[in-house]
Amino acid sequence: MADLNQLYDAILNGDHKTAVTVTRQALTEGTAPIELITNYMSPAMDEVGRRFECEEYFVPELLLSGRAMKAALALLQPLLAASGAEPAGRIVIGTVKGDLHDIGKNLVASMLEGGGFEVHDLGADVAPEKFVGAVREHKPDLVCLSALLTVTMPGMRDVVEALKMAGLRDQVRVMVGGAPVTAEFANEIGADGYAENAGVAVTVARRLTRKNHAMDEAKG
Amino acid sequence: MSEKATIRLLPLGAQFTVPQDSALRESLGSFGIEFPCGGEGWCGSCKVRVLEGVLPVTPEDRSTLTEEEIGAGWRLACRAHATGPLTFQAAQWQTPILADFQPMHPSAQLGLGIAIDVGTTTIVAQLLDLRSGEVIGLRSALNPQSAYGADIMSRVAFALHDSRLTTIIRQFIGTMVADLATGRVSELRDVVLVGNTVMHHLFAGLNVEPLSHVPFHPSDLSEQIFAPSDLEWPLLPSTRVRFLRCLGSFVGSDILAGILATGIAETKHLTALIDLGTNGEIVLGNRRRILCASTAAGPAFEGACIRMGMRAATGAISQVFVRNRALECHVIGDTEPRGICGSGLVDAVSAGLELGAILSNGRLQNGDNREYLLRPPVAITQADIRELQLAKAALAAGLRILVNLTGATVGEVEHVYLAGAFGNYVRIASACRIGLLEIPGAKIIPAGNTALRGAKMALLAPGIDSQVSVTHVSLESYPSFQDTFVDCLTFPYT
Ligand code: B12
Repeated sequence: MADLNQLYDAILNGDHKTAVTVTRQALTEGTAPIELITNYMSPAMDEVGRRFECEEYFVPELLLSGRAMKAALALLQPLLAASGAEPAGRIVIGTVKGDLHDIGKNLVASMLEGGGFEVHDLGADVAPEKFVGAVREHKPDLVCLSALLTVTMPGMRDVVEALKMAGLRDQVRVMVGGAPVTAEFANEIGADGYAENAGVAVTVARRLTRKNHAMDEAKG
Repeated sequence: MSEKATIRLLPLGAQFTVPQDSALRESLGSFGIEFPCGGEGWCGSCKVRVLEGVLPVTPEDRSTLTEEEIGAGWRLACRAHATGPLTFQAAQWQTPILADFQPMHPSAQLGLGIAIDVGTTTIVAQLLDLRSGEVIGLRSALNPQSAYGADIMSRVAFALHDSRLTTIIRQFIGTMVADLATGRVSELRDVVLVGNTVMHHLFAGLNVEPLSHVPFHPSDLSEQIFAPSDLEWPLLPSTRVRFLRCLGSFVGSDILAGILATGIAETKHLTALIDLGTNGEIVLGNRRRILCASTAAGPAFEGACIRMGMRAATGAISQVFVRNRALECHVIGDTEPRGICGSGLVDAVSAGLELGAILSNGRLQNGDNREYLLRPPVAITQADIRELQLAKAALAAGLRILVNLTGATVGEVEHVYLAGAFGNYVRIASACRIGLLEIPGAKIIPAGNTALRGAKMALLAPGIDSQVSVTHVSLESYPSFQDTFVDCLTFPYT
């Protein structure tokens, strides 16, 4: 029998080899992918996020844990797709136009993935039209924007405006972040949420997507 | 509202009056107080402590400062309006200014010349006798543009909607030059200025908009030549003013001057020049080929973004040693410590690593404490260590990538010259211990103000600056940057 706690530990310690071995064994033994995710992988990534928030973990640890989580997830994805399982929510993420800083954005993306979201990463230097296109294509619940430069921060407003112009603004929530971004700024440009680091980003994303569903239900 | 309020600023002891209810930012800027976030109220660097009088608490004070700080009288100067007489103390202090007094070679020219290093933070100008190469006058000051943002990006952001920065810098340097040349204006032949690309563009009145977005291609990298009348400077029309050319993106003529000063273009040995400042410029090469890049290290080396960080000034812990397995701190001015400057921070982390109080992943051993006490009340926090890790990793990764591009190995780098104030005060052994410099300490040479020295060389031997060819490398176009950077984030094991 696979010791599934090893999967939890492997992700927490950024040991992607063990994460893959245990996941593979668990699958051959017939464990349901969704159980691996809900009971071991997501809790491990939540703990990674918590440690990052309290400064115990830093970028390298987060990156290694993210890699371990992704390696295990890659084994599950075909099965999940086949079974038609629904993710916690769909997310489109990218660094805004003019800005090539993507290390923070990548960490946020991998934490969100670890939190059970389906994440479409558009990369860095992403123009507003591209965000709009991706929203049309993937129908996400949440759009996440990153900026690390004072001079590219206004690009976040451009995306919010572009979504409005395209008539898509009320179908998605927008969360922003990056070192120079503040909650006040998020408010000012009409974003729905802000998180100061990758750990908090998952909590805020969960809150925002939950509200979104509530909204849909109210409407529908 | 013609009422005036008198303001006393400690520890400078300066006194001035402002119209009541006016913003303090403008007047404080002229006393050298800086506003790193451009006065937006989120960085907390400009905080002042009210000792006499009242400064109303603003929403920005509430969001940026802690309740204890507000209770203790701290306010953000950038958002403050004086409602009555006030005495307060600025948390910032004045920067030490690095000049250059290495003897220069005499030249065949007659008359006087002025060389000026236009730094983002400080400006240093020297008056030279061109014949003997001797320095006969010196002026230095904080850059008056600092009131509109400490780093170059905040200046660019400000300049996008306001043209004031050009007027301010021209007037300010004009006064400095006129002052240096008092009574000898007729002998003044040449003025040479050097600075990073933003300083170059703002001085010359070039459009900085292209510097505000990808791909950060400057409007015009070339040397800018002026007649004194273009600048409204009170000099003879025969005096020539030139701002030397920039090298690419944000790498400017201060680095070109540094290359002249360190002789990289003449040596056959692989040589590096590193400016350990916010932009973290790196030059690597020899007489065959020279590469340069900027690594965007951030302001941690200058003590900014560090909880008790401050400039290297009275009250700053500037050195930390390990004696008998305990910490020993040197405080500038031998007073009670008030904070820590960049060199102290690097020392403290190096000492912490040596004593096992800091682990090689950057984590404090006694993690729950989240603080490493140096000498009460000064401590460094877990977050401070993280800031230092980001800054040093950016530099170390930049050098690794440049070395790779030359096809050499790190071991083949013969000499590393350090430019900038921090580079001249940091203890080399500590910089090596934390992995900021991954080169044996014996090869590392603090080189003083290489920008100013290079500017003087260009003054004494006109044309030497145009003979150097340098290739600018954009680190953002290297996909391997992220992996290298993350690899450099930890501290080396010994
Ligand atoms: C690494 C780095 C680079 C690398 C980028 C590599 C890459 N692929 O990303 C390189 C060398 C290429 C680079 C280039 C430049 N950089 Co740079 N860079 C940095 C550096 C050192 C670290 C940034 C980083 O990765 N931090 C680590 C990550 C994990 O943190 P983070 O990004 O803040 O992300 C966290 C949170 O903010 C949040 N978050 C991030 N995104 C999002 C999104 C959402 C939705 C949410 C909820 C949360 C969130 O979660 C993350 C994890 O907790 C900083 C300085 C510093 N010491 O911080 C400068 C810095 C960001 N760079 C700066 C500058 C100016 C530049 C350049 C313009 C010029 C230069 N060379 O000097 C170029 C521009 C490149 C471009 N076109 O964008 C400045 C910005 C100043 C300003 N006020 O605008 C800084 C602050 C340095 C400085 N000079 O002061 N840079």
